[in-house]
Amino acid sequence: MQIQVKCSCGEEDCPEWAIVELQGVIEAQASFQHRLQNLQIGQLCRPSSQEVYTLTIGYHELTGSKVTLKKPLVVLKKVKLMDVDQENGNSNNSSNVELQVVGIIRHKILFKTRPKAITSKPQLEFKERASTAASTSPN
Amino acid sequence: MEHAKPVCRGAETILRIQPNSSISISYHPLFGSRDDLILLELDEKLLQDVLQERVTLRGQPEEDAVFCTQSKTYAMKFVATSNSAFLIPPSGQFLTCEDSSDYGGNSHDQEVVASVIKIAPGTIELNEISPRLDRLKLLLSENPYNFEEAAEEEVIEKRKAGFYSWDDLVNRVQASNDQLRAGLNALSAVEIDGYWRLVDEKYMDTILRMLLHNSVLNDWLLDQLREEEIMNTLEADGFPRMLANHCLHVYGSKVDSSTGSGTLWRLDEKRVCVHFAREILKTGKKKKDNFMAEWLQSIPDGMQASFDMLEGEVLTERLGVEMWVYAFSASSLPLNPAERFSMLFRERSKWAWKDLESYIRDLNVPGLSLEGLLLKYTRRTQPTPDAEPIFTAR
Repeated sequence: MQIQVKCSCGEEDCPEWAIVELQGVIEAQASFQHRLQNLQIGQLCRPSSQEVYTLTIGYHELTGSKVTLKKPLVVLKKVKLMDVDQENGNSNNSSNVELQVVGIIRHKILFKTRPKAITSKPQLEFKERASTAASTSPN
Repeated sequence: MEHAKPVCRGAETILRIQPNSSISISYHPLFGSRDDLILLELDEKLLQDVLQERVTLRGQPEEDAVFCTQSKTYAMKFVATSNSAFLIPPSGQFLTCEDSSDYGGNSHDQEVVASVIKIAPGTIELNEISPRLDRLKLLLSENPYNFEEAAEEEVIEKRKAGFYSWDDLVNRVQASNDQLRAGLNALSAVEIDGYWRLVDEKYMDTILRMLLHNSVLNDWLLDQLREEEIMNTLEADGFPRMLANHCLHVYGSKVDSSTGSGTLWRLDEKRVCVHFAREILKTGKKKKDNFMAEWLQSIPDGMQASFDMLEGEVLTERLGVEMWVYAFSASSLPLNPAERFSMLFRERSKWAWKDLESYIRDLNVPGLSLEGLLLKYTRRTQPTPDAEPIFTAR
């Protein structure tokens, strides 16, 4: 079978997506684990005019920078198509899929250091596990 | 206390965040594993191909899909990451902040929020590979065109098993369009009534002999055959025009002529001579002297056969004092290098370079030279520095 890769955005105006990348995983508190939607993860901050960023998650702070990807990434979206071949007797119930280019990624904000604990800003109660993985808490 | 409604933004804000400012990052209302979103890494050249819709993915459900441009084939490899890559779309591409009422507790007047739609588990990377054309031969060999079919009066109305149109082949063979076309050409396939077909060897032999026979009868010059005349004559002899034309393509080439007397063809000496050598060796190995005598006898007048023409077609072996010749055609071997070398070493455990070369020179593996192939699949021994190197299996 053949899957077409479609692109409606053209060369110049392909929407740019972003990646914020950090080491390890973020674990939400158990009560939120299955309804992460809309939950706040953290605060991304650019403290100066340099390309240095901080990401504050709960009482952890990560420091990172904006990097340009060596090779761009495209974001493809799998789209199931309605079977238009039905009248040709061609429909053996194989779902027709096409891939659509929905975005391009050229940069990411990368946090490759381990988190630093913030002690001076006890925004949240200390409930999270001590691990390299930072945790998310609802505000 | 009334909280300010957050201002929803996306990737554009993340990428252009102003100094001394901050953005809240949250999970998108549509956040999930989102298997429908895939990240594909491309270099700038392939990016252009993708943006201009010149690529397709090909493969059967049970195969690993390949990525094809017009001319090349790439393997798709998923490369996982243990990092968390938060994927943030630009605002406006997915519904954002529809249901953001649970926000609050921030000290800003208006909070700017960017939402993460998915945590990407990795990316797909592309690696150029050689096209997987072995299946093409397998498919087309299911049902070659032959005498019985040529004798059928009625046009085939319904589609038969083992008949493949271009679209059928594209759906089944993992190769780019250009590579598929080159593969069809290398197999001497012909499109008959919308289906790509191999023509039975016996049929090709008969039509070629008939063409040569007519050339003698009509005093045609083998390097100036008039297409119209050939086709008409062969058609009168009972061969479909399509096949007559195919015969010219397989054994000849068009002559550049501006004389205006229609298209002219020249029969290719090597291809015609190789054809007759194959015919002679079909029955099995022959003593070289006998073979040569029979071969020279069978080729058309005016053509010169030399044993060099048979590189990659025949092998010789010494049995006692006699030299024997047998058919061993490079074109019958698999295109996959590992399988090719395994077949070669099954045929012979030791190969001299001069013999081996003609059986591997058509192998084309991106990123691997012929030298590289030899290093990977063979062991090279050279008893003395000026001796011929010998290649054995690794």
